[in-house]
Amino acid sequence: MQLPETQVAVLETASASEAQSIDRLADELDRKPETITGAVFALEEEGLVAVEDRERVAYDLTDEGRTYLDDGLPEVRLYRAAVDAGAADDPASMGDLTDAAGLDGQAVRIALSNYARKGYGHIDSGDVSADPDADPDADPEAAALEAVRDGETDGVDENTLDQLERRGLVEAHETTERLVTLTDDGVTALMEGVEAYEAVDRLTPAMLTSGEWRDVEFADYNVAAEAAEPSTGRLHVLRQIVERVKEVLVGMGFQEMEGPHADADFWINDCLFMPQDHPARTHWDRFALENPSHVDELPGDLVERVRDAHLHGVGENSEGYHSEWDEEFARAVALRGHTTSLSTRYLSGHQIGDLEPPQRFFSVEKAYRNDTLDATHLLEFFQIEGWVMAEDLSVRDLMGTFEEFYAHFGITDIEFKPHYNPYTEPSFELFGTHPETGELIEIGNSGIFRQEMLEPLGVDADVMAWGLAGERLAMLITGAEDIRDIHGTLTDLDFLRNAEVTY
Amino acid sequence: MPTVTVDPDELRRLTGHEDKDDDRLKSDLFALGLEFEGETDEGEFELEFGPDRLDRLSVEGIARSLRYQYGDDRGVYVPDTNDAEWTIEVEEVPPQRPYVTGAVARAVNLDEDALDSLIQLQEKLHATMGRGRVKGAIGIHDLTMMKGEVLEPGDESGDVETAGSKAVRYTGIPVDGDRFVPLDSDEEMTPGEVLTDHPTGDDYADIVADYDSMPAIYDEIGLFSFPPVINGRRTEVSTESRDLFVEMTGTDQWTVDKMLNVVCYALDARGARIEDVEVSYPDRGIYADSDRVDPGVTVTRPDLSTKTKTVPHDRVETVLGIDLERDEVVDLLERSGLDAEVTEVGDDVPASDASGGSSDSSDGEVTYEATIPPYRVDILHPLDVIDDVGRAYGFNDLEPRSPDISTVGGRHQRSRLEEAVRLQLVGQGFEDMLNFHLIGEADNYDRMRVSRGEAVVGGGEAATIKNPYSEDYAIVRTWALPSLLMVLENNTHRAYPQDLAEVGFAAEVDESENTGLAEWRTVAGALARTEASYEDARGHLQALARSFDVDLETPPTEHPTFIDGRAAEVVMDGESVGVVGEVHPEVLVEHDLEVPVAAFEFRLDALR
Repeated sequence: MQLPETQVAVLETASASEAQSIDRLADELDRKPETITGAVFALEEEGLVAVEDRERVAYDLTDEGRTYLDDGLPEVRLYRAAVDAGAADDPASMGDLTDAAGLDGQAVRIALSNYARKGYGHIDSGDVSADPDADPDADPEAAALEAVRDGETDGVDENTLDQLERRGLVEAHETTERLVTLTDDGVTALMEGVEAYEAVDRLTPAMLTSGEWRDVEFADYNVAAEAAEPSTGRLHVLRQIVERVKEVLVGMGFQEMEGPHADADFWINDCLFMPQDHPARTHWDRFALENPSHVDELPGDLVERVRDAHLHGVGENSEGYHSEWDEEFARAVALRGHTTSLSTRYLSGHQIGDLEPPQRFFSVEKAYRNDTLDATHLLEFFQIEGWVMAEDLSVRDLMGTFEEFYAHFGITDIEFKPHYNPYTEPSFELFGTHPETGELIEIGNSGIFRQEMLEPLGVDADVMAWGLAGERLAMLITGAEDIRDIHGTLTDLDFLRNAEVTY
Repeated sequence: MPTVTVDPDELRRLTGHEDKDDDRLKSDLFALGLEFEGETDEGEFELEFGPDRLDRLSVEGIARSLRYQYGDDRGVYVPDTNDAEWTIEVEEVPPQRPYVTGAVARAVNLDEDALDSLIQLQEKLHATMGRGRVKGAIGIHDLTMMKGEVLEPGDESGDVETAGSKAVRYTGIPVDGDRFVPLDSDEEMTPGEVLTDHPTGDDYADIVADYDSMPAIYDEIGLFSFPPVINGRRTEVSTESRDLFVEMTGTDQWTVDKMLNVVCYALDARGARIEDVEVSYPDRGIYADSDRVDPGVTVTRPDLSTKTKTVPHDRVETVLGIDLERDEVVDLLERSGLDAEVTEVGDDVPASDASGGSSDSSDGEVTYEATIPPYRVDILHPLDVIDDVGRAYGFNDLEPRSPDISTVGGRHQRSRLEEAVRLQLVGQGFEDMLNFHLIGEADNYDRMRVSRGEAVVGGGEAATIKNPYSEDYAIVRTWALPSLLMVLENNTHRAYPQDLAEVGFAAEVDESENTGLAEWRTVAGALARTEASYEDARGHLQALARSFDVDLETPPTEHPTFIDGRAAEVVMDGESVGVVGEVHPEVLVEHDLEVPVAAFEFRLDALR
């Protein structure tokens, strides 16, 4: 049989006939009692030892007891001084004797009060006589102090221990003691031979280099217990979702766009065939900038084509808006209300050159809305924007693309509600079923870009596009109820530290 | 989203489907794109409407759409109109509001419901197409309270067409001109007094603030309408009114004419007989953008003429992604309230050369001439007609499919770099932050001990918002460190260390940029902990620089945010790109922090 080294030692030290305490085994084996306790329980589980609990009184030395252990009990010292002074024959003066014994103050009184009681002699009117038959080396109280020091109080007379406690030299307290005996199986195992392997607490570099690790067993830890946590870095929860979205879109063949956050209204709205008197362009939730306020340069030919589309539409069958179009108005700079400004820049060919179909592009970037901040609305939010350019695209392609995208986030059974956008036709609001609540929620807006938008941009193909607020997806995924916990300087670090990872 | 309120019983009565229960009605309405938002205390439906179908802003219009959806009605319906008895003479009107239109409705059955609906329609049209009455405003009057000026042939303002009819005059008057009693008032007021003393006047005073004169409409008795602000009390419409005079003024003829059409269709649905009105412009035409000098024109309104759009069959099929028979398309158009005629253009190949082969119609180009009724203001292009076909077919009945095209996806280089830096920072133990790009002026500068315009990191001129909602978000941040300190400030009750980093957006005014604003990504880190020191920040920077194979030097510098002697310029590959140091105690105390903070900020591009 092979057992950890400690268990083998315990097995060999334990006896079948005499119950031994764990402390005693620990002493005998020169190990920590905790180590022995572990080994004993392991052996008990194997049925090799039996463990019995016993209540017993344990004694500890007090500081005074420890002093007497080193210097001798005051009454003994007095007796030795008395014998030296010949007090066995002739009583000697107490003052001389205490001086000789080096006793003073409290110690004198202690010496005197115990001297006679313990039969070392008599004290009479300041004179001390010594009993020549007394043996100071056999003082039972001195022996008991030594036994307490050694933890070997089993054989010591209880009255003597009581006396020591009364004198304040030891303290008694009740403990439970585990007594270990070998069982019959234990005896058998020993007879058949038990081999040891060593259990170690920590694997050390030395063990690895010496190869010692081969011969050791690792002591079991309490692996179920909680441990202290390190402080960790982690990616922001919304950033994780943004990254996830980007990964999905890249996987679907989309390339990422980028462009200015502050841009001319021309790119943000006019190129989208948004009429200049559209409420969204006059409403003050638009984030117009005071400084800088206008762009100097817009591509002139594009400006003319956009103007023409707004005034007259494109082609014979088209009529445009029945309102004016002012280039100055289009030059005004605002923080983009949607990232579709990136799409118009890319589609126009002014960002990365002309694009030939097929193309897929996306961005997951900030858009801005000048509104009050509340639990579900921020001034800045991540807009997920995507578009596909191809020769012929149908609303079925649009639907299929969204279904694929949303399925990655567990949102299925998408419903398409016909909708109106100035820049798409047909247009749809997308509704999806919340994966947890089962509620039907709006998850995006989509459509096929209008000819009046694409022709001025010089796009001779179909383009379908969609957008949604990333925070909406984030709230669905994280279960956050207040968007401000997630995004911005009001964020709660604990929320971020405890938020579940998105992957 | 705007809503329109509709009584479901009224809707059932007008559609002739008394049997439809509420749930059925709601789902039919959803199919039209009218989402049920809730109910009023009186049990009326509140429906969210799309701002394209302005003909559905009243129960009459919604009922009409439902009847088409149910197949009860088909094709274009245009009400007959009676010949004009009334004329609107246009005089010296304010140039900011040059256009007017009008109609008369006779024998209207105006019960409470119909009147409520009419008022709601008027309000919703004002809010949408009328752009808050700026672009177009409606006035409806009780005709029996009006007295027309009789125009004689040879009258200086009249011409042959309008001779003998009754006239009202649309003109412009001084702000302290004629008095009239406006609605909801007992006093005679000048237009100016209305604007200052009447609650409705106060609401719309802004619109006419810059007008050269006040728009005013007169009949023989006097001033009865002050568009776009308020009507006179004399001609107020009530449930007793039988004949109505409708006038609309605005900034362009098309808009007011279309608004008028929507109103006329609603009145027609209430059993009214629409009667034309002549609108006489003495010295100009009705087109704002036209170069021609119009000698003056008289037009008959309402303009209930239809228009047509040519829609290729191919395009219907490619947009919807399905094959359709021509009859099917015509049927779907008729069920949308449109008419359609199929035309087919043969092959270019002369018939004689055709080898007697297939006469399959698909060889030719099939198009539809779709007729659009006059209340449809949303159809600007054939695609809008195709959208109608799709709606009638039921978009949700289409089977989704994946586009059969192949493209290669990829991230933008900048976004890859951002992400790589973020991951390095997280690996260094930083918690990644995501803060607003908008910030308060004090937060960005003063609380960091930096002055606006100071030549230090963060001191650049920030872009300013024109109408900020709150001064906490009044500018675009010029650096990210202030945001990190604000996060620390808001989290002093949370466990330390708080090591925060952000890779984010910052910008400053720069006239050399096209937009006038230089935008860049910035990398900021802050170490908040009892033992935070300059070396900690330097150490993190060093590790980051090494990861991106960039040389880092940190010559001493002075920066008001940091302690003197413990601040350095961040120089990467020889270029000054940022600052690192121990944050000044005054900044810490300002942010209620009781631990030292070591921090850095530099431009992301430096790691390229």
